[in-house]
Amino acid sequence: MDPHVSSQSISETSAPATLPAAPLLTAAWAVFRKDLRSELRTRYALNAILLFAVSTVVAISLGMGPLTVSRNADLPLIQAALLWVAILFAAFTGLSRAFVQEEEARTAAALRLSARPTAIFLGKLLFNLALLLILVGLTTVLFIVMLRVQVGNPGLLAALLLAGSMGLVAATTLVAAIIARASVKGALFAVLSFPLLVPLLTAAIQGSANALVGRGWESSIGSLQVLAGYTIALFTASLFLFNMVWES
Amino acid sequence: MSDRLRLNQAAKILLGVWMAGIIVAMFLVVPQYVGLGDAGRIIILHVPTAWITTVAFAVSAVYSIRYLWKRRIADDAGAVAAAEAGFLFCVLATTSGMWFANIVWGTPWNWDPRETTILILLLIYAAYFALRSALDDVERRRRLSAVYNLFAAVTMPFLLFVAPRMAESTLHPNCAFIQGSHCDGIWLEMNGTRVGQLGDVVLALQGIEQHGDLAVVQVEVRMPGLRDVALLTPSFELSSGKPADRPEFPGQQFLLAVEEVDLTNGRALLNMEAPGTGLLSNSRTFWTFMASNIGFLGLFIWLYRLRADVLLLQERLARREVTYGLPA
Repeated sequence: MDPHVSSQSISETSAPATLPAAPLLTAAWAVFRKDLRSELRTRYALNAILLFAVSTVVAISLGMGPLTVSRNADLPLIQAALLWVAILFAAFTGLSRAFVQEEEARTAAALRLSARPTAIFLGKLLFNLALLLILVGLTTVLFIVMLRVQVGNPGLLAALLLAGSMGLVAATTLVAAIIARASVKGALFAVLSFPLLVPLLTAAIQGSANALVGRGWESSIGSLQVLAGYTIALFTASLFLFNMVWES
Repeated sequence: MSDRLRLNQAAKILLGVWMAGIIVAMFLVVPQYVGLGDAGRIIILHVPTAWITTVAFAVSAVYSIRYLWKRRIADDAGAVAAAEAGFLFCVLATTSGMWFANIVWGTPWNWDPRETTILILLLIYAAYFALRSALDDVERRRRLSAVYNLFAAVTMPFLLFVAPRMAESTLHPNCAFIQGSHCDGIWLEMNGTRVGQLGDVVLALQGIEQHGDLAVVQVEVRMPGLRDVALLTPSFELSSGKPADRPEFPGQQFLLAVEEVDLTNGRALLNMEAPGTGLLSNSRTFWTFMASNIGFLGLFIWLYRLRADVLLLQERLARREVTYGLPA
Protein backbone atom coordinates (compact mmCIF):
# COMPACT_ATOMS: atom_id res chain seq x y z
CA MET A 1 0.00 0.00 0.00
CA ASP A 2 1.18 3.46 -0.76
CA PRO A 3 2.19 5.11 2.54
CA HIS A 4 1.33 8.61 1.27
CA VAL A 5 -2.31 7.77 0.88
CA SER A 6 -4.26 7.83 4.10
CA SER A 7 -6.91 5.23 4.75
CA GLN A 8 -9.64 7.80 4.55
CA SER A 9 -8.79 8.90 1.06
CA ILE A 10 -8.71 5.27 -0.10
CA SER A 11 -12.26 4.77 0.98
CA GLU A 12 -13.26 7.91 -0.84
CA THR A 13 -11.46 7.26 -4.09
CA SER A 14 -11.65 3.51 -4.63
CA ALA A 15 -15.25 2.92 -3.62
CA PRO A 16 -18.48 4.87 -3.23
CA ALA A 17 -18.65 6.79 0.02
CA THR A 18 -21.70 4.88 1.19
CA LEU A 19 -19.86 1.57 1.25
CA PRO A 20 -18.15 1.52 4.64
CA ALA A 21 -21.12 3.13 6.32
CA ALA A 22 -23.34 0.05 6.39
CA PRO A 23 -22.27 -2.58 8.91
CA LEU A 24 -21.56 -6.01 7.48
CA LEU A 25 -24.62 -7.80 8.80
CA THR A 26 -26.99 -4.99 7.83
CA ALA A 27 -25.62 -5.10 4.30
CA ALA A 28 -25.90 -8.89 4.21
CA TRP A 29 -29.49 -8.67 5.41
CA ALA A 30 -30.22 -6.11 2.69
CA VAL A 31 -28.81 -8.45 0.02
CA PHE A 32 -30.92 -11.28 1.43
CA ARG A 33 -34.08 -9.14 1.34
CA LYS A 34 -33.33 -8.00 -2.18
CA ASP A 35 -32.92 -11.60 -3.33
CA LEU A 36 -36.05 -12.66 -1.51
CA ARG A 37 -38.07 -9.87 -3.07
CA SER A 38 -36.88 -10.53 -6.60
CA GLU A 39 -37.48 -14.25 -6.07
CA LEU A 40 -41.01 -13.64 -4.85
CA ARG A 41 -41.68 -11.58 -7.98
CA THR A 42 -40.74 -14.33 -10.40
CA ARG A 43 -40.75 -17.40 -8.15
CA TYR A 44 -38.43 -18.98 -10.70
CA ALA A 45 -36.15 -20.90 -8.35
CA LEU A 46 -38.91 -21.72 -5.90
CA ASN A 47 -41.18 -23.19 -8.59
CA ALA A 48 -38.41 -25.11 -10.29
CA ILE A 49 -36.92 -26.53 -7.12
CA LEU A 50 -40.23 -27.52 -5.52
CA LEU A 51 -41.70 -29.10 -8.63
CA PHE A 52 -38.45 -30.95 -9.15
CA ALA A 53 -38.62 -32.25 -5.59
CA VAL A 54 -42.24 -33.33 -6.03
CA SER A 55 -41.42 -35.16 -9.27
CA THR A 56 -38.50 -36.95 -7.67
CA VAL A 57 -40.49 -38.10 -4.67
CA VAL A 58 -43.38 -39.24 -6.86
CA ALA A 59 -40.97 -41.12 -9.14
CA ILE A 60 -39.33 -42.82 -6.17
CA SER A 61 -42.63 -43.72 -4.59
CA LEU A 62 -43.86 -45.15 -7.91
CA GLY A 63 -40.87 -47.44 -7.91
CA MET A 64 -40.78 -48.23 -4.21
CA GLY A 65 -44.52 -48.26 -3.52
CA PRO A 66 -45.05 -52.00 -3.36
CA LEU A 67 -42.16 -52.46 -0.95
CA THR A 68 -43.61 -53.19 2.46
CA VAL A 69 -41.87 -52.19 5.62
CA SER A 70 -41.39 -55.64 7.07
CA ARG A 71 -39.75 -57.20 4.02
CA ASN A 72 -36.36 -55.59 4.15
CA ALA A 73 -34.09 -55.02 7.13
CA ASP A 74 -32.09 -52.37 5.28
CA LEU A 75 -35.18 -50.32 4.39
CA PRO A 76 -34.38 -47.34 6.69
CA LEU A 77 -30.95 -46.96 5.11
CA ILE A 78 -32.43 -47.21 1.60
CA GLN A 79 -35.09 -44.64 2.45
CA ALA A 80 -32.55 -42.29 4.04
CA ALA A 81 -30.33 -42.57 0.97
CA LEU A 82 -33.25 -41.89 -1.40
CA LEU A 83 -34.40 -38.92 0.66
CA TRP A 84 -30.97 -37.33 0.52
CA VAL A 85 -30.55 -38.06 -3.18
CA ALA A 86 -33.90 -36.35 -3.83
CA ILE A 87 -32.83 -33.33 -1.76
CA LEU A 88 -29.42 -33.22 -3.43
CA PHE A 89 -30.76 -33.22 -6.97
CA ALA A 90 -33.40 -30.63 -6.25
CA ALA A 91 -30.69 -28.49 -4.64
CA PHE A 92 -28.54 -28.84 -7.76
CA THR A 93 -31.35 -27.39 -9.87
CA GLY A 94 -32.03 -24.35 -7.71
CA LEU A 95 -29.10 -23.28 -5.55
CA SER A 96 -26.94 -21.90 -8.36
CA ARG A 97 -29.72 -19.45 -9.19
CA ALA A 98 -28.63 -16.81 -6.67
CA PHE A 99 -25.47 -15.96 -8.60
CA VAL A 100 -26.40 -17.08 -12.11
CA GLN A 101 -29.38 -14.73 -12.11
CA GLU A 102 -27.13 -11.74 -11.31
CA GLU A 103 -25.03 -12.52 -14.38
CA GLU A 104 -27.99 -13.20 -16.66
CA ALA A 105 -29.82 -10.05 -15.63
CA ARG A 106 -26.51 -8.14 -15.84
CA THR A 107 -26.95 -6.81 -12.34
CA ALA A 108 -23.70 -8.22 -10.97
CA ALA A 109 -21.79 -4.99 -11.60
CA ALA A 110 -24.39 -2.96 -9.75
CA LEU A 111 -24.24 -5.40 -6.86
CA ARG A 112 -20.45 -5.11 -6.81
CA LEU A 113 -20.71 -1.38 -6.41
CA SER A 114 -23.33 -1.42 -3.73
CA ALA A 115 -22.02 -3.86 -1.15
CA ARG A 116 -18.88 -5.47 0.18
CA PRO A 117 -18.08 -8.99 -1.15
CA THR A 118 -18.47 -10.60 2.27
CA ALA A 119 -21.88 -9.02 2.73
CA ILE A 120 -22.96 -10.25 -0.69
CA PHE A 121 -21.75 -13.75 0.10
CA LEU A 122 -23.54 -13.84 3.46
CA GLY A 123 -26.75 -12.52 1.93
CA LYS A 124 -26.71 -15.10 -0.86
CA LEU A 125 -25.84 -17.83 1.64
CA LEU A 126 -28.80 -16.87 3.78
CA PHE A 127 -31.11 -16.81 0.76
CA ASN A 128 -29.91 -20.23 -0.37
CA LEU A 129 -30.39 -21.58 3.15
CA ALA A 130 -33.97 -20.30 3.25
CA LEU A 131 -34.68 -21.82 -0.16
CA LEU A 132 -33.13 -25.13 0.83
CA LEU A 133 -34.98 -25.34 4.13
CA ILE A 134 -38.30 -24.91 2.33
CA LEU A 135 -37.23 -27.60 -0.12
CA VAL A 136 -36.05 -30.00 2.59
CA GLY A 137 -39.23 -29.50 4.60
CA LEU A 138 -41.48 -30.20 1.62
CA THR A 139 -39.44 -33.16 0.36
CA THR A 140 -39.34 -34.79 3.79
CA VAL A 141 -43.06 -34.42 4.43
CA LEU A 142 -43.89 -35.78 0.95
CA PHE A 143 -41.44 -38.60 1.46
CA ILE A 144 -42.92 -39.62 4.80
CA VAL A 145 -46.47 -39.51 3.44
CA MET A 146 -45.99 -41.08 0.02
CA LEU A 147 -43.48 -43.77 0.92
CA ARG A 148 -45.10 -44.57 4.26
CA VAL A 149 -41.82 -43.95 6.04
CA GLN A 150 -41.86 -44.59 9.76
CA VAL A 151 -39.79 -42.06 11.64
CA GLY A 152 -38.56 -43.48 14.93
CA ASN A 153 -36.87 -40.34 16.21
CA PRO A 154 -38.35 -37.20 14.57
CA GLY A 155 -36.23 -34.77 16.62
CA LEU A 156 -33.00 -36.39 15.52
CA LEU A 157 -34.15 -36.49 11.89
CA ALA A 158 -34.98 -32.78 12.02
CA ALA A 159 -31.58 -31.97 13.54
CA LEU A 160 -29.80 -33.97 10.85
CA LEU A 161 -31.82 -32.37 8.06
CA LEU A 162 -31.01 -28.92 9.44
CA ALA A 163 -27.30 -29.66 9.88
CA GLY A 164 -27.16 -31.29 6.45
CA SER A 165 -28.87 -28.30 4.82
CA MET A 166 -26.42 -25.90 6.41
CA GLY A 167 -23.49 -27.96 5.17
CA LEU A 168 -25.02 -28.23 1.70
CA VAL A 169 -25.44 -24.47 1.49
CA ALA A 170 -21.95 -23.78 2.87
CA ALA A 171 -20.46 -25.99 0.15
CA THR A 172 -22.57 -24.95 -2.83
CA THR A 173 -22.83 -21.16 -2.47
CA LEU A 174 -19.18 -20.60 -3.38
CA VAL A 175 -19.47 -23.10 -6.23
CA ALA A 176 -22.51 -21.20 -7.52
CA ALA A 177 -20.43 -18.03 -7.56
CA ILE A 178 -17.65 -19.85 -9.39
CA ILE A 179 -19.86 -21.23 -12.16
CA ALA A 180 -21.94 -18.07 -12.62
CA ARG A 181 -19.80 -16.94 -15.56
CA ALA A 182 -18.97 -20.34 -17.05
CA SER A 183 -20.53 -21.62 -20.23
CA VAL A 184 -22.49 -24.74 -19.20
CA LYS A 185 -23.73 -23.58 -15.83
CA GLY A 186 -26.33 -26.12 -14.77
CA ALA A 187 -24.33 -29.28 -15.43
CA LEU A 188 -21.13 -27.71 -14.18
CA PHE A 189 -22.74 -26.79 -10.87
CA ALA A 190 -23.61 -30.43 -10.18
CA VAL A 191 -20.26 -31.70 -11.42
CA LEU A 192 -18.27 -29.31 -9.24
CA SER A 193 -20.45 -29.69 -6.17
CA PHE A 194 -20.86 -33.43 -5.99
CA PRO A 195 -17.29 -34.45 -5.06
CA LEU A 196 -17.28 -31.84 -2.32
CA LEU A 197 -20.56 -33.12 -0.91
CA VAL A 198 -19.61 -36.77 -0.53
CA PRO A 199 -18.52 -36.52 3.14
CA LEU A 200 -21.67 -34.60 3.97
CA LEU A 201 -23.95 -37.06 2.18
CA THR A 202 -22.37 -40.06 3.85
CA ALA A 203 -22.70 -38.63 7.33
CA ALA A 204 -26.23 -37.34 6.71
CA ILE A 205 -27.51 -40.60 5.21
CA GLN A 206 -26.11 -42.74 8.02
CA GLY A 207 -27.44 -40.41 10.68
CA SER A 208 -30.86 -40.19 9.03
CA ALA A 209 -31.07 -43.97 8.80
CA ASN A 210 -30.44 -44.12 12.56
CA ALA A 211 -33.19 -41.56 13.09
CA LEU A 212 -35.65 -43.51 10.93
CA VAL A 213 -34.95 -46.71 12.85
CA GLY A 214 -35.61 -44.82 16.06
CA ARG A 215 -32.21 -44.98 17.70
CA GLY A 216 -31.36 -42.35 20.30
CA TRP A 217 -29.33 -39.18 19.89
CA GLU A 218 -26.11 -40.87 20.98
CA SER A 219 -26.22 -43.04 17.84
CA SER A 220 -25.82 -40.05 15.54
CA ILE A 221 -23.61 -37.69 17.55
CA GLY A 222 -20.74 -38.66 15.24
CA SER A 223 -22.74 -37.73 12.14
CA LEU A 224 -23.83 -34.42 13.66
CA GLN A 225 -20.24 -33.61 14.59
CA VAL A 226 -19.02 -34.34 11.07
CA LEU A 227 -21.80 -32.18 9.61
CA ALA A 228 -21.06 -29.31 12.00
CA GLY A 229 -17.30 -29.47 11.40
CA TYR A 230 -17.83 -29.68 7.65
CA THR A 231 -20.15 -26.67 7.68
CA ILE A 232 -17.76 -24.56 9.74
CA ALA A 233 -14.70 -25.50 7.67
CA LEU A 234 -16.36 -24.83 4.31
CA PHE A 235 -18.04 -21.65 5.52
CA THR A 236 -14.70 -20.27 6.74
CA ALA A 237 -12.93 -21.29 3.52
CA SER A 238 -15.73 -19.66 1.49
CA LEU A 239 -15.33 -16.38 3.37
CA PHE A 240 -11.63 -16.36 2.54
CA LEU A 241 -12.03 -17.40 -1.09
CA PHE A 242 -15.15 -15.46 -2.07
CA ASN A 243 -13.29 -12.16 -2.49
CA MET A 244 -11.20 -13.75 -5.22
CA VAL A 245 -14.22 -15.22 -6.97
CA TRP A 246 -16.09 -11.96 -6.88
CA GLU A 247 -13.31 -9.81 -8.42
CA SER A 248 -14.51 -8.40 -11.70
CA MET B 1 22.43 -23.00 -19.56
CA SER B 2 24.04 -25.88 -21.40
CA ASP B 3 25.25 -27.29 -18.09
CA ARG B 4 21.71 -27.30 -16.81
CA LEU B 5 20.51 -28.94 -19.99
CA ARG B 6 23.15 -31.63 -19.68
CA LEU B 7 22.19 -32.20 -16.04
CA ASN B 8 18.55 -32.50 -17.04
CA GLN B 9 19.47 -34.97 -19.74
CA ALA B 10 21.48 -37.05 -17.26
CA ALA B 11 18.64 -37.00 -14.72
CA LYS B 12 16.19 -38.14 -17.39
CA ILE B 13 18.36 -41.07 -18.39
CA LEU B 14 18.94 -41.98 -14.75
CA LEU B 15 15.19 -41.93 -14.14
CA GLY B 16 14.59 -44.22 -17.11
CA VAL B 17 17.21 -46.71 -15.94
CA TRP B 18 15.91 -46.49 -12.37
CA MET B 19 12.31 -47.26 -13.40
CA ALA B 20 13.42 -50.10 -15.68
CA GLY B 21 15.42 -51.49 -12.76
CA ILE B 22 12.35 -51.36 -10.54
CA ILE B 23 10.25 -53.24 -13.06
CA VAL B 24 12.90 -55.93 -13.34
CA ALA B 25 13.29 -56.06 -9.56
CA MET B 26 9.56 -56.34 -9.17
CA PHE B 27 9.64 -59.74 -10.86
CA LEU B 28 13.13 -61.00 -10.05
CA VAL B 29 14.09 -59.59 -6.65
CA VAL B 30 10.78 -59.48 -4.82
CA PRO B 31 9.96 -62.93 -3.47
CA GLN B 32 6.63 -64.50 -4.29
CA TYR B 33 4.11 -63.59 -1.65
CA VAL B 34 2.69 -66.67 0.05
CA GLY B 35 -1.03 -66.86 -0.56
CA LEU B 36 -1.24 -64.02 -3.05
CA GLY B 37 1.11 -65.49 -5.62
CA ASP B 38 2.35 -63.18 -8.32
CA ALA B 39 -0.56 -60.79 -7.69
CA GLY B 40 1.24 -59.58 -4.56
CA ARG B 41 3.95 -57.99 -6.68
CA ILE B 42 1.54 -55.23 -7.59
CA ILE B 43 2.40 -53.46 -4.34
CA ILE B 44 5.54 -52.18 -6.09
CA LEU B 45 3.43 -50.31 -8.65
CA HIS B 46 0.08 -49.74 -7.05
CA VAL B 47 0.99 -48.21 -3.70
CA PRO B 48 3.52 -45.65 -5.04
CA THR B 49 1.08 -44.46 -7.75
CA ALA B 50 -1.60 -44.01 -5.09
CA TRP B 51 0.87 -42.05 -2.96
CA ILE B 52 1.89 -39.84 -5.84
CA THR B 53 -1.78 -39.07 -6.48
CA THR B 54 -2.03 -37.55 -3.02
CA VAL B 55 1.30 -35.75 -3.40
CA ALA B 56 0.15 -34.33 -6.74
CA PHE B 57 -3.05 -33.06 -5.21
CA ALA B 58 -1.08 -31.32 -2.45
CA VAL B 59 1.41 -29.83 -4.95
CA SER B 60 -1.45 -28.57 -7.09
CA ALA B 61 -3.11 -26.95 -4.06
CA VAL B 62 0.15 -25.24 -3.05
CA TYR B 63 0.56 -23.83 -6.57
CA SER B 64 -3.05 -22.63 -6.45
CA ILE B 65 -2.36 -20.78 -3.20
CA ARG B 66 0.72 -19.21 -4.74
CA TYR B 67 -1.24 -18.21 -7.81
CA LEU B 68 -3.94 -16.50 -5.79
CA TRP B 69 -1.22 -14.80 -3.75
CA LYS B 70 1.07 -13.57 -6.51
CA ARG B 71 -0.99 -13.99 -9.71
CA ARG B 72 1.91 -15.37 -11.68
CA ILE B 73 1.09 -17.42 -14.76
CA ALA B 74 3.86 -19.89 -13.93
CA ASP B 75 2.10 -20.87 -10.71
CA ASP B 76 -1.15 -21.54 -12.56
CA ALA B 77 0.73 -23.66 -15.09
CA GLY B 78 2.28 -25.59 -12.18
CA ALA B 79 -1.13 -26.20 -10.62
CA VAL B 80 -2.63 -27.49 -13.87
CA ALA B 81 0.39 -29.63 -14.69
CA ALA B 82 0.45 -31.20 -11.21
CA ALA B 83 -3.28 -31.89 -11.42
CA GLU B 84 -2.91 -33.48 -14.85
CA ALA B 85 -0.02 -35.68 -13.77
CA GLY B 86 -1.93 -36.51 -10.59
CA PHE B 87 -4.98 -37.47 -12.63
CA LEU B 88 -2.84 -39.85 -14.68
CA PHE B 89 -1.44 -41.49 -11.54
CA CYS B 90 -4.91 -41.57 -10.01
CA VAL B 91 -6.25 -43.52 -12.99
CA LEU B 92 -3.27 -45.88 -12.82
CA ALA B 93 -3.71 -46.49 -9.09
CA THR B 94 -7.44 -47.07 -9.46
CA THR B 95 -7.24 -49.49 -12.37
CA SER B 96 -4.28 -51.44 -10.99
CA GLY B 97 -6.05 -51.67 -7.65
CA MET B 98 -9.28 -52.88 -9.23
CA TRP B 99 -7.40 -55.47 -11.20
CA PHE B 100 -5.67 -56.75 -8.08
CA ALA B 101 -8.90 -56.70 -6.06
CA ASN B 102 -10.68 -58.70 -8.72
CA ILE B 103 -8.02 -61.41 -8.56
CA VAL B 104 -7.53 -61.55 -4.81
CA TRP B 105 -10.76 -60.36 -3.20
CA GLY B 106 -13.11 -61.58 -5.91
CA THR B 107 -14.59 -58.15 -6.60
CA PRO B 108 -13.18 -55.11 -8.37
CA TRP B 109 -15.11 -52.63 -6.23
CA ASN B 110 -16.11 -52.87 -2.59
CA TRP B 111 -16.51 -49.26 -1.35
CA ASP B 112 -13.49 -49.78 0.76
CA PRO B 113 -12.39 -46.45 2.35
CA ARG B 114 -9.40 -46.03 0.10
CA GLU B 115 -11.37 -46.91 -2.99
CA THR B 116 -13.93 -44.28 -2.01
CA THR B 117 -11.29 -41.64 -1.36
CA ILE B 118 -9.47 -42.20 -4.62
CA LEU B 119 -12.71 -42.19 -6.61
CA ILE B 120 -13.67 -38.83 -5.12
CA LEU B 121 -10.18 -37.53 -5.88
CA LEU B 122 -10.69 -38.66 -9.48
CA LEU B 123 -14.01 -36.81 -9.60
CA ILE B 124 -12.46 -33.64 -8.15
CA TYR B 125 -9.69 -33.67 -10.75
CA ALA B 126 -12.27 -34.22 -13.49
CA ALA B 127 -14.42 -31.37 -12.17
CA TYR B 128 -11.35 -29.12 -12.06
CA PHE B 129 -10.62 -29.78 -15.74
CA ALA B 130 -14.30 -29.38 -16.65
CA LEU B 131 -14.33 -25.99 -14.92
CA ARG B 132 -11.23 -24.85 -16.76
CA SER B 133 -12.66 -25.80 -20.12
CA ALA B 134 -15.93 -24.00 -19.37
CA LEU B 135 -14.38 -20.60 -18.63
CA ASP B 136 -13.45 -18.57 -21.70
CA ASP B 137 -11.69 -15.63 -20.11
CA VAL B 138 -8.10 -16.70 -19.40
CA GLU B 139 -7.55 -14.68 -16.24
CA ARG B 140 -10.89 -15.74 -14.78
CA ARG B 141 -10.23 -19.36 -15.66
CA ARG B 142 -6.97 -19.30 -13.70
CA ARG B 143 -8.43 -17.52 -10.71
CA LEU B 144 -11.63 -19.55 -10.38
CA SER B 145 -10.02 -22.92 -10.94
CA ALA B 146 -7.42 -22.10 -8.26
CA VAL B 147 -10.25 -21.22 -5.87
CA TYR B 148 -12.06 -24.47 -6.65
CA ASN B 149 -8.86 -26.45 -6.18
CA LEU B 150 -8.37 -25.01 -2.70
CA PHE B 151 -12.03 -25.39 -1.79
CA ALA B 152 -11.89 -29.07 -2.76
CA ALA B 153 -8.74 -29.50 -0.67
CA VAL B 154 -10.67 -28.26 2.37
CA THR B 155 -13.16 -31.15 2.06
CA MET B 156 -10.49 -33.86 1.84
CA PRO B 157 -9.88 -34.26 5.60
CA PHE B 158 -13.59 -34.91 6.11
CA LEU B 159 -13.57 -37.50 3.40
CA LEU B 160 -10.65 -39.26 5.06
CA PHE B 161 -12.61 -39.21 8.29
CA VAL B 162 -15.96 -40.28 6.88
CA ALA B 163 -14.90 -42.87 4.30
CA PRO B 164 -13.91 -45.56 6.82
CA ARG B 165 -17.45 -45.51 8.17
CA MET B 166 -19.10 -46.00 4.80
CA ALA B 167 -18.42 -49.67 4.40
CA GLU B 168 -18.22 -51.87 7.43
CA SER B 169 -15.53 -53.90 5.78
CA THR B 170 -12.09 -52.84 4.83
CA LEU B 171 -10.26 -55.18 2.54
CA HIS B 172 -7.30 -52.89 2.29
CA PRO B 173 -3.85 -53.75 3.53
CA ASN B 174 -3.52 -51.50 6.56
CA CYS B 175 -5.84 -53.71 8.55
CA ALA B 176 -6.26 -57.15 7.10
CA PHE B 177 -3.21 -57.43 4.92
CA ILE B 178 -0.16 -57.22 7.07
CA GLN B 179 0.02 -59.86 9.71
CA GLY B 180 0.41 -58.42 13.15
CA SER B 181 -1.46 -55.23 12.39
CA HIS B 182 -5.00 -55.54 13.58
CA CYS B 183 -8.50 -54.97 12.51
CA ASP B 184 -10.62 -54.70 15.62
CA GLY B 185 -11.98 -58.23 15.29
CA ILE B 186 -15.16 -59.39 17.02
CA TRP B 187 -15.90 -61.18 20.25
CA LEU B 188 -18.37 -64.04 19.94
CA GLU B 189 -19.80 -65.83 22.97
CA MET B 190 -21.35 -69.28 23.39
CA ASN B 191 -23.86 -67.85 25.88
CA GLY B 192 -24.38 -64.49 24.22
CA THR B 193 -23.99 -63.10 20.72
CA ARG B 194 -22.97 -66.11 18.70
CA VAL B 195 -23.34 -64.55 15.29
CA GLY B 196 -21.34 -61.57 14.10
CA GLN B 197 -19.91 -59.88 11.05
CA LEU B 198 -16.29 -59.52 10.11
CA GLY B 199 -16.09 -57.35 7.05
CA ASP B 200 -18.92 -58.64 4.91
CA VAL B 201 -18.46 -62.18 6.11
CA VAL B 202 -20.95 -63.56 8.62
CA LEU B 203 -19.46 -65.68 11.39
CA ALA B 204 -21.44 -67.98 13.65
CA LEU B 205 -19.74 -69.51 16.67
CA GLN B 206 -20.52 -73.23 16.91
CA GLY B 207 -18.29 -74.37 19.74
CA ILE B 208 -15.07 -73.95 21.67
CA GLU B 209 -13.10 -77.03 22.71
CA GLN B 210 -9.84 -77.51 24.54
CA HIS B 211 -7.39 -80.09 23.20
CA GLY B 212 -4.39 -79.97 25.51
CA ASP B 213 -2.66 -76.68 24.94
CA LEU B 214 -4.87 -75.80 21.98
CA ALA B 215 -8.26 -74.15 22.09
CA VAL B 216 -10.10 -75.12 18.94
CA VAL B 217 -12.93 -72.82 17.89
CA GLN B 218 -15.57 -73.98 15.46
CA VAL B 219 -16.95 -71.19 13.33
CA GLU B 220 -19.51 -71.37 10.57
CA VAL B 221 -18.53 -68.89 7.89
CA ARG B 222 -20.97 -67.45 5.38
CA MET B 223 -19.46 -65.49 2.52
CA PRO B 224 -21.29 -62.47 1.08
CA GLY B 225 -24.30 -63.37 -1.04
CA LEU B 226 -24.28 -66.83 0.54
CA ARG B 227 -21.90 -67.98 -2.18
CA ASP B 228 -20.13 -70.30 0.22
CA VAL B 229 -20.86 -71.66 3.65
CA ALA B 230 -18.08 -73.49 5.46
CA LEU B 231 -17.18 -74.73 8.90
CA LEU B 232 -13.71 -73.48 9.84
CA THR B 233 -11.76 -74.53 12.91
CA PRO B 234 -9.10 -71.98 13.79
CA SER B 235 -7.16 -72.70 16.95
CA PHE B 236 -5.34 -70.80 19.66
CA GLU B 237 -2.25 -71.80 21.61
CA LEU B 238 -3.01 -71.23 25.26
CA SER B 239 0.55 -71.31 26.61
CA SER B 240 1.98 -68.73 24.22
CA GLY B 241 -1.26 -66.77 23.82
CA LYS B 242 -0.95 -66.72 20.03
CA PRO B 243 -3.12 -67.95 17.18
CA ALA B 244 -2.07 -71.41 16.02
CA ASP B 245 -4.00 -72.71 13.03
CA ARG B 246 -5.42 -70.10 10.63
CA PRO B 247 -7.81 -71.59 8.07
CA GLU B 248 -8.57 -69.75 4.84
CA PHE B 249 -11.96 -68.21 4.04
CA PRO B 250 -13.61 -70.14 1.19
CA GLY B 251 -12.86 -68.53 -2.14
CA GLN B 252 -10.71 -65.76 -0.63
CA GLN B 253 -7.12 -65.51 0.32
CA PHE B 254 -7.76 -64.24 3.82
CA LEU B 255 -7.26 -66.21 6.98
CA LEU B 256 -9.47 -66.55 10.01
CA ALA B 257 -7.55 -66.31 13.27
CA VAL B 258 -8.48 -66.61 16.93
CA GLU B 259 -6.70 -63.84 18.75
CA GLU B 260 -7.95 -64.42 22.27
CA VAL B 261 -9.94 -67.12 24.02
CA ASP B 262 -11.81 -66.99 27.29
CA LEU B 263 -12.52 -70.68 27.96
CA THR B 264 -14.40 -70.24 31.24
CA ASN B 265 -17.02 -67.94 29.72
CA GLY B 266 -16.93 -69.50 26.25
CA ARG B 267 -15.77 -66.38 24.41
CA ALA B 268 -13.39 -65.96 21.51
CA LEU B 269 -11.99 -62.92 19.67
CA LEU B 270 -12.03 -63.67 15.94
CA ASN B 271 -10.24 -61.65 13.32
CA MET B 272 -9.31 -61.55 9.66
CA GLU B 273 -5.69 -61.76 8.63
CA ALA B 274 -3.65 -61.75 5.49
CA PRO B 275 -1.84 -64.93 4.55
CA GLY B 276 1.86 -65.52 4.94
CA THR B 277 4.42 -63.16 6.35
CA GLY B 278 4.04 -59.40 6.19
CA LEU B 279 4.73 -58.18 2.72
CA LEU B 280 6.97 -55.28 3.64
CA SER B 281 8.73 -57.04 6.51
CA ASN B 282 10.72 -58.78 3.81
CA SER B 283 13.73 -56.51 3.32
CA ARG B 284 14.09 -57.18 -0.42
CA THR B 285 10.45 -56.25 -0.99
CA PHE B 286 10.79 -53.26 1.30
CA TRP B 287 13.78 -51.76 -0.50
CA THR B 288 12.30 -52.37 -3.93
CA PHE B 289 9.14 -50.71 -2.68
CA MET B 290 11.04 -47.67 -1.38
CA ALA B 291 13.05 -47.44 -4.60
CA SER B 292 9.78 -47.57 -6.52
CA ASN B 293 8.38 -44.72 -4.42
CA ILE B 294 11.42 -42.59 -5.21
CA GLY B 295 11.27 -43.54 -8.88
CA PHE B 296 7.59 -42.63 -9.20
CA LEU B 297 8.17 -39.37 -7.35
CA GLY B 298 10.93 -38.53 -9.85
CA LEU B 299 8.66 -39.52 -12.71
CA PHE B 300 5.89 -37.29 -11.37
CA ILE B 301 8.21 -34.30 -10.92
CA TRP B 302 9.62 -34.75 -14.41
CA LEU B 303 6.13 -35.11 -15.94
CA TYR B 304 4.60 -32.09 -14.29
CA ARG B 305 7.60 -29.81 -14.83
CA LEU B 306 7.60 -30.75 -18.49
CA ARG B 307 3.87 -30.14 -18.79
CA ALA B 308 4.18 -26.82 -16.96
CA ASP B 309 6.91 -25.72 -19.39
CA VAL B 310 4.72 -26.69 -22.34
CA LEU B 311 1.79 -24.73 -20.91
CA LEU B 312 3.97 -21.65 -20.38
CA LEU B 313 5.31 -21.93 -23.90
CA GLN B 314 1.78 -22.12 -25.29
CA GLU B 315 0.88 -19.06 -23.29
CA ARG B 316 3.88 -17.15 -24.65
CA LEU B 317 3.06 -18.14 -28.23
CA ALA B 318 -0.55 -17.05 -27.78
CA ARG B 319 0.63 -13.71 -26.44
CA ARG B 320 3.04 -13.18 -29.27
CA GLU B 321 0.25 -13.91 -31.71
CA VAL B 322 -1.87 -11.23 -30.06
CA THR B 323 0.98 -8.70 -30.06
CA TYR B 324 2.42 -9.21 -33.55
CA GLY B 325 -0.51 -10.82 -35.29
CA LEU B 326 1.67 -13.70 -36.46
CA PRO B 327 0.10 -17.05 -37.21
CA ALA B 328 0.84 -19.56 -34.44
